[in-house]
Amino acid sequence: MDQASKIYPPKLLLRFFRWFCHPDYLEDIEGDVIERFEKRVITQGSLVAKLLFTRDIFQLFRPSLIRPIEGTQKLNYYGMLKNYFKISLRNIQRHKTFSILNIAGLSVGLACSILILVYVKNEISYDTYNENYDKTYRLLQVFRSSKVADENPIVAPNEYQVWGNAPVGPAVTKEFPEIESFFRFTSPIQILVEYESKRFQENGFVFADSTAFQTFSWNMIVGDPKTALKDPNTIVLTETTSKKYFGDLNPIGQTLKIDQGDLFKVTGVMEDIPHNTHFTFEAMISMSTFQKYRPDIFNQWGYVDFYTYLQINSSADIAALESKFPELADRYLDDWTGYGMKLEPMSDAYLYSVAKRQPGPTGSLTNVYVFTSIAVFILLIACINFMNLSTARSVERAKEVAIRKAVGSQKIALIFQFLTEAVILTAIAAVLACGLVIFALPYLEILSGKVLDPTWLLQPYYLTIIISGVVGVGLLAGSYPAWILSNFRPVQVLKGSFKTSAKGVMLRKVLVVFQFSISIILLAGTTVVYYQLDHLRNHDLGFDNEQMLVIDFGWDSKVQKQREMFKEEMLKHPDVSAVTVSRAVPGDFFPGGGTGIEGTDGEMIYHSPGMYEIDEDFIPTMNMEIVAGRNYSKDFPLDSANALIINEASAKLFGYPKPEDIIGKKFDQWGRQGTVVGVVKNFNYVSLHRDVEPLSLRYGTPENTTKLTLKLKSTNYRQTITEIERKWAELAPHRPMISNFLDDKFNQQYAKDQQFGHVFTVFAGLAIFIACLGLFGLTIYSTAQRTKEIGIRKVLGASAQSILKLLSMDFLKLFAIALIIAIPLSYFMMDRWLEGFAYSISIGWQVFAAAAVVTLAVSLVTMSIKTISAAVSNPVDALRNE
Amino acid sequence: MGKNQLGEFEEVVLLTVAILQDEAYGIAIIDEMGKRLNRKVSIGSLQTVLRRLEKKGFLDSELGEATKVRGGKRKRFFTLTNLGKRTLEETKKQRLALWSAIPSFVNN
Repeated sequence: MDQASKIYPPKLLLRFFRWFCHPDYLEDIEGDVIERFEKRVITQGSLVAKLLFTRDIFQLFRPSLIRPIEGTQKLNYYGMLKNYFKISLRNIQRHKTFSILNIAGLSVGLACSILILVYVKNEISYDTYNENYDKTYRLLQVFRSSKVADENPIVAPNEYQVWGNAPVGPAVTKEFPEIESFFRFTSPIQILVEYESKRFQENGFVFADSTAFQTFSWNMIVGDPKTALKDPNTIVLTETTSKKYFGDLNPIGQTLKIDQGDLFKVTGVMEDIPHNTHFTFEAMISMSTFQKYRPDIFNQWGYVDFYTYLQINSSADIAALESKFPELADRYLDDWTGYGMKLEPMSDAYLYSVAKRQPGPTGSLTNVYVFTSIAVFILLIACINFMNLSTARSVERAKEVAIRKAVGSQKIALIFQFLTEAVILTAIAAVLACGLVIFALPYLEILSGKVLDPTWLLQPYYLTIIISGVVGVGLLAGSYPAWILSNFRPVQVLKGSFKTSAKGVMLRKVLVVFQFSISIILLAGTTVVYYQLDHLRNHDLGFDNEQMLVIDFGWDSKVQKQREMFKEEMLKHPDVSAVTVSRAVPGDFFPGGGTGIEGTDGEMIYHSPGMYEIDEDFIPTMNMEIVAGRNYSKDFPLDSANALIINEASAKLFGYPKPEDIIGKKFDQWGRQGTVVGVVKNFNYVSLHRDVEPLSLRYGTPENTTKLTLKLKSTNYRQTITEIERKWAELAPHRPMISNFLDDKFNQQYAKDQQFGHVFTVFAGLAIFIACLGLFGLTIYSTAQRTKEIGIRKVLGASAQSILKLLSMDFLKLFAIALIIAIPLSYFMMDRWLEGFAYSISIGWQVFAAAAVVTLAVSLVTMSIKTISAAVSNPVDALRNE
Repeated sequence: MGKNQLGEFEEVVLLTVAILQDEAYGIAIIDEMGKRLNRKVSIGSLQTVLRRLEKKGFLDSELGEATKVRGGKRKRFFTLTNLGKRTLEETKKQRLALWSAIPSFVNN
């Protein structure tokens, strides 16, 4: 026996047997097999014993003895989990009001959050599609006079501008090996494009370097991205533009006639610029074309018309590189110390840049924060609904909990039970939320004015985040009720001495106050946004912007040369009361330029104010006010060469707080010298986000004017415009009439603010909606609990009104507290928002009154659905069933 | 009677268990059957039948004490239940009735 016990059966087989054998039978059968093996070792020798052992094992491998497929050793909680699930579903089905209120609140809350997530993700995704995102930098530049720079060498970040000169790009690329390449494009030009007999007025074309496709990951549909923009007179169109001109024809090799002169060859068609790019254009004309037209400006460091993007080796030290810039500027510029450069990573371009003169609209980091917090708040409100309704129902469920405990349920099992319920409710809500998102996304796109792509939500990574987010929300909402409910003492409950704890009621009140504070804050915010936008629209801009029709003729030399004739002809129309030509109108883009004016000490001071180019009719037509001196006039034929009008802000900038003192002082601007002849009262020529900045209004010679502005006095605009169009077609048959109303265009500057307002309002409204759902639920339960009390009161002679008052009073108290909390908070927040406007309303009590009244009215109406029926109910029904 | 009918092998196994009394466990049953009937039975087929009989309620089983042999595994001892006993009796009666109904098979 001792000898035999040293020979063991083959281990592998034994392990195999243990694996397949039914666990209930394992021990004794294994014993049998081993016993037989041991006997055989003695009688037949170990080899035969092992062989026979093998046979035995394989003969045991039969259906009746192997382990069942689903596993006999089940997860400990498997049955329990199944039970949780079943009970939860039953509960959800049984308490329909409760479930519907919660699911409605949670699904709207989740849908809002997902929508806001899509919006925010879009905001932070700007430019990230570029392969070279991390190594692309914008070259910011500052243009100041040497004198200013010498006095104050430090340049504030918001003094830099993105719009800069042409030669700096090639210069830095040549000087610094870590800069791999540069890409420049100009601001959009206004041109007339002709293809065969079709004419198009275009204002989205830019000149661009051939490195475009190397810097930005734009896809070329046809054409060679490397060479398409090399030669002069070549043009790359975006898909939309190409379709507009050629339809389905092959665009490559087609020629376009531009501004009735040169022919351009189409060398490529690219996909439209992605929506999440911080600028956009409709076509790119090769930079070499521009260089051919104006070779001089490609060496001028003071001529500003280019946006410069650099590819910098990713191992380069940006700070070290920047520190070498001043030295380079010194070498290239003899005695001009006011020029400076700085690098800005592309990742900062959309949301973080404070530089002036951006190539496109920038985003607002504040908005991103505002919307993210709204998303969080809305979700919180929905979660609070769940908590409140669950704890309010606790009396109802107390018996269930008590009996479960009495028959042996552990606390942890009850907690799981309630959490499962919460998570299942949230999951149902999440499915509904997906539907809502799909339905609401197009509306959000309209509201926000952005093209939003939600497909990234379906990527596994984000899907995981969202699903865990949903589970997280479920757990958050379910944790408190689960804890409270599972804490009930069975003896107390079953004996009948159980009442809702004061602590629970208190907490519910706190949560309601919290919900309504948020609602009031959001509503007050909405009110402020609307007051402010209204204020912007009605603010006295210092000029008339109503009933002004602006006709844009671009740089059309035929019109420019005959502008006096055009003015006269247009004035003949009975509905036109005044006509003027200028380079820009308020709200338009305008250049800035080095301007010198004699200071109080007789020395010339140089600054760079904005620049308008106008004719003698501009100021009267726009109804601007001259505060000192005179307007340009035909009586002074030399005005076009030696006179200058500036605004009050400019006068102040050059050291003359009193405008009349600057009259007669010498000026030097863009090759023109003479005296300042007039000062115009400040008018808001850019959006009211900013104060009126220094401006000079120089006399515009014909070749520098692009716009004809007509002041109309008609009541039938459509007819008047048709007549003017007919006249235009007679006068300038070669050019379509592009026109717009001045106020429309000017107010477009607030499009972003308006979109913010709309989006804000919608989400604020939804937040209040969800809060009211919760309030409604609470009212149902509290009235139900007080049914008997109401019955007795009525029997004793209480009127319906007094019952109504009784039921609403509780809420009114909470509402008052919420108001006290919300007012200072919203005041603080909206004050910060208003700081972004130079012209803002002051937040008055009306704002809070409006917010409070609306919230109160909505909540009382919500409550009344239930309270009124309770107040008018027959007391017999309430008291009968004891 | 129907569903309580025994198969031939089942019957043999039940009878062997009855013979072995308190010592009826897997190997012992196989050995006994080998000795008495000269019949080789694999552990697999025997165990299958034992479990089936147990499920039908003819057998009862109980684990014994662990010993040093058999790799320290306990034996499972099977005993006949009352139902098992009755069923065996019934079967026997039926067989005898059949035998006695044969007219002259033995004497021939």
